[in-house]
Formats: sequence, structure tokens, C-alpha cells
Amino acid sequence: MNITRRRGAIAFFITLGVLLVGLSVALQVGWIILNDRAVAFAVLGVILFSLLIAGVVLNTVFLVREIRRNERQDSFLNAVSHELKTPIASIRLYLETLQRRSVDEEQRQQFYRIMLTDSDRLLATVEQVLKAGQLGQRHRQQNRTTIDLASLLMECINVTLQRHHLGADSIILEPVPGAVRLQVVGIPEDLRTAIINVLDNAVKYSPEGVRVRCSLAITRYTWVTLRISDTGMGLPSNEYKRIFKRFYRVPGRSMVKIKGTGLGLFLVRNIARQHGGDVTASSAGAGLGTTITFTLPLANPEGSPDHS
Amino acid sequence: MTETSAPLIAVIEDEEHLAQGLLFNLQAEGYATHHEGDGDAALAYLLNTEDKIAAIVLDCMLPGTDGFAIVAALREAQRYTPVLMLTARTRPEDILEGLEAGADDYLPKPFELSILLMRLKSLLRRAAWQNTAASPEAPPDEYIFDHRTIRFDALELVAPNRTTHLTLMEADLLRYLTDREGQIVPRKDILEQVWRVHEDTDTRAIDNFIVRLRRYIEDDPANPQHLVTVRGIGYRFIANP
Repeated sequence: MNITRRRGAIAFFITLGVLLVGLSVALQVGWIILNDRAVAFAVLGVILFSLLIAGVVLNTVFLVREIRRNERQDSFLNAVSHELKTPIASIRLYLETLQRRSVDEEQRQQFYRIMLTDSDRLLATVEQVLKAGQLGQRHRQQNRTTIDLASLLMECINVTLQRHHLGADSIILEPVPGAVRLQVVGIPEDLRTAIINVLDNAVKYSPEGVRVRCSLAITRYTWVTLRISDTGMGLPSNEYKRIFKRFYRVPGRSMVKIKGTGLGLFLVRNIARQHGGDVTASSAGAGLGTTITFTLPLANPEGSPDHS
Repeated sequence: MTETSAPLIAVIEDEEHLAQGLLFNLQAEGYATHHEGDGDAALAYLLNTEDKIAAIVLDCMLPGTDGFAIVAALREAQRYTPVLMLTARTRPEDILEGLEAGADDYLPKPFELSILLMRLKSLLRRAAWQNTAASPEAPPDEYIFDHRTIRFDALELVAPNRTTHLTLMEADLLRYLTDREGQIVPRKDILEQVWRVHEDTDTRAIDNFIVRLRRYIEDDPANPQHLVTVRGIGYRFIANP
């Protein structure tokens, strides 16, 4: 209901903008015809009208962008309140159940397991929201160290496998060509968050079985690319850029089933950029999987004391 | 199984953990249960089942058809099983959207287990009254005005040319208004006392609800005689204008 109203507002402002531009153009043409003898007037008129038109166009673009942003923020609030309240509701329900009824031992252990999973889920959401706030505020320079990317990636893969109870062969790290050590300078904790977020997504959006391949390679001599490919739901090409925006989630039926806040990839891009690199997404199409590619600058050999 | 005697509660909830906990507790209370985790499957079940469902616990954010649409579809199909909605959104607009769609009660998440069980019990009790309303010794619980009869026990509004089925919430609102016949009833009071929504800001969300009630009780809903708006405050019910 709200969304249709907003769509209506966007359509209205675009129509209004177009009408105003049309009107200005008509006036400008009229002005030129009226003043075709006085060149100075005509030139002045053209300049002023052009300014006017530019102003109207800018204004319309700005308005539509603001409305879009508002829309995203709204859906973020809904998603986050759902993500925060659902695990709390569940934990509370089980605590009350334990308090209220006599529950046999096996059942009790199961309730504990459920509550632990829910508190993990709650913590993950809270950390993500807090991190997004932090990154938005300040550029962090502290704690930069030289990181061995392959071992960091291996560590992230193990965390993800454990978190989602997956077999070791569902996420594979391909051997690095040439067996070189790939090192970057950065904040290990942040890079870990970024990589785990991408791996989590790869698992989340592969409802029909997880087959994720990770690879590392040197490109353009001083850069390292980290590629994470899944065989999941894929992505239409017009979403490649948008998915990294704050609060953005790809619209559609299947996305309702998969819960998220729209912060994960926003964090990923921010972290990649703070490390002097970037991240891109690509997909062969719907149902054909997604590939997320990090590009990061390699550490200078003299900058890394443990480099041999 | 005790299926013949125990009331059957349908739990429509996509969060596996919450659903499991609810089912466990409902079974411990002696109810029979049925669970659906997907909106489309739930709607298909609710519309086509032969089971005699006593009440439905319905989450509003579901994959597929959402809770609001499910309740609206049920009412459309003339199924008046009591519905208790669970919602993570607590803005009055969201709650009223559910009640407008035809839900009978709502609970915000996270909810207290004891309150959930109590609300469910009271829904079942009211539904039971409705079924035994024809007993001759009890005085009929009804309100008569302008050739119309509101039968609170049967949840019906009998007008000269048609009979309308009311949801519990609509009946509660009508009772609240008719009890205060001739008085001005502020919007805030309706929100707090009928729907138990606490909201500091003035909300217009209630107005859609009133518009619907007018369709039931007014000869000309666009020009109301019985349920009139008091500008800036709320509403007034007048039995004999």
C-alpha cells in the first residue's frame, strides 16, 4: 500500500518535471522567435532558460532519488526489526516454556540448542548493524598488518562451513597458481567480516545445495583478485551495482524467504574500498549462480617484515 | 488421537523455531495442532481442509501469500474461523491493517506465552458463545436501532435487506460505540480500549475501519446518519438521528 503510494509520488514528480521542462522549452523557442532581431536578448534568453531547464531536471532527479532512499530505509527498518524481534521472540518462548512446564531431558537439550542458535542469529544482526554505523562514521587506520590472504580465506571458509553445518567439499579453495604467497595490508578483522559476508550470501542464496568455489590470483602485477563463485540463484545484470548499496535488497518473491537486512554487501564494498581495492558482482543469469570478485592491492615486499 | 474432542489450532508461521515452540505449548495445553510454514500452502490448506479448525495463529510476514492476504481471502470465502495474528511490526497502521483484513486479535512479537494462550482461549470462548447463542434461556445479546439488529452473540448485523457477518473486532467496536450512544468517542480511546494499541500521536488509521462499518449500518455510507465524525476528536454513534 505504502509502496504503491510512493510509486505514485515518483510518477507524479517525473511527470511534473517533464511538463515543466517542456514548458520552458516552449517559452525558450517563443523567446527566440520574438527576439530574432535582437541577438543579445536571444542569447541571454537561451542562457537563462537553459539554466531553468537544468534546474528543473536536477530537482526532479534529486526528488526521485530521495524518495527511493526513503523507501530503502523503510524496508531496512522492517527487515531489521523482524531480524531482531524474531530470535528474541523465539528465545523468550522457550524460556517461558521451560519455566512453565516440566520438560524431559532430551527436549530440554533441544530447546537449549534452539536458543543458542537464536542468540547467534541475534548477535550476527546486531554486529552487522553496529559495524555499518562504524564504517559510515570514520576511516579506520589502526591495527593495519600484513595479512596472508590464502590463510585468511581458509579460516573464513572453515567458519562458514561450521556455521551452516556443511560438508568440507561444499566450499572449495582452488590452489593458488605458482604457489606464491599473496599478502595484503589491512585490518584482518574487517577483511574477515567482508569475506564471511560474501560466503554467507553464497550459502544463503543457494537453496538447492551449496557448491562454492574460491580462487586467488595475481592480476596486473600488483593486484590480487579473490573470486567467490556459487551455483545459486544468480542475479540479473541490472542489479550488479545496486546490491552494494546500503539497505538494498533485490526485490522478488524468492527473496522474501531469505532473510537479510541489506547491510552485508554494503559492508563488503566499504571494507574493500578502505583497503584500497574494490568489489564487483556478476552472474551468468537467473539460476546460474553469482560471482563476487574482490580486487585488492598486494602488499609491498619491503613493507612486510615477515616476507621471505 | 484425541482429534474428535480437542480443538484444532492451525499455526501458520515460517520461522521454524517459533513454530516448534508454539506447537509444543499448544499440544501441552491439550490442543490438536496443524502447522504450515508457507503462505501459499497455508491458504490452500485453510480454504480446502475438511478439518474443523477452532482457531488460527497467523504470522503476518510469510513467504508466498502474506498473513494479511490470507485472512482477507478467508473472510472473502465466508470462513469466519477466529484468527490471532502475530506481527513483528507494531505501528498502529500495521496492526489495523491486520484487523481491517479481518483478523480478530493480534499480538506483537515478542509475545508472552501466557498472554498468547489467554488470548487464544478467549477467542475460542467467544467463538463457542456464538455457536450456543440460540439457547432460549439466555437473554439475547443484541442491540436494535433503526430497523437493524446487531447480534453480538452471533456476530451478525441484520438489516432489512441483508445480513452481514461481523468479525470479533468489528463487533467489539460496535459494542463500544453503542454502549456510549450519543457520546463523543475519541479516536485514542478506541485505539486503546478496543484494540489495545497505545500510540501517542494521533492516528487516522482507524478511519478506514469506520468507513467499513458505515457500509454495514448506514443507508447512504457517504452521508452517515448513525456513525458521524466529530471533527478533530473522533466519532459519535446516534441510534435515532
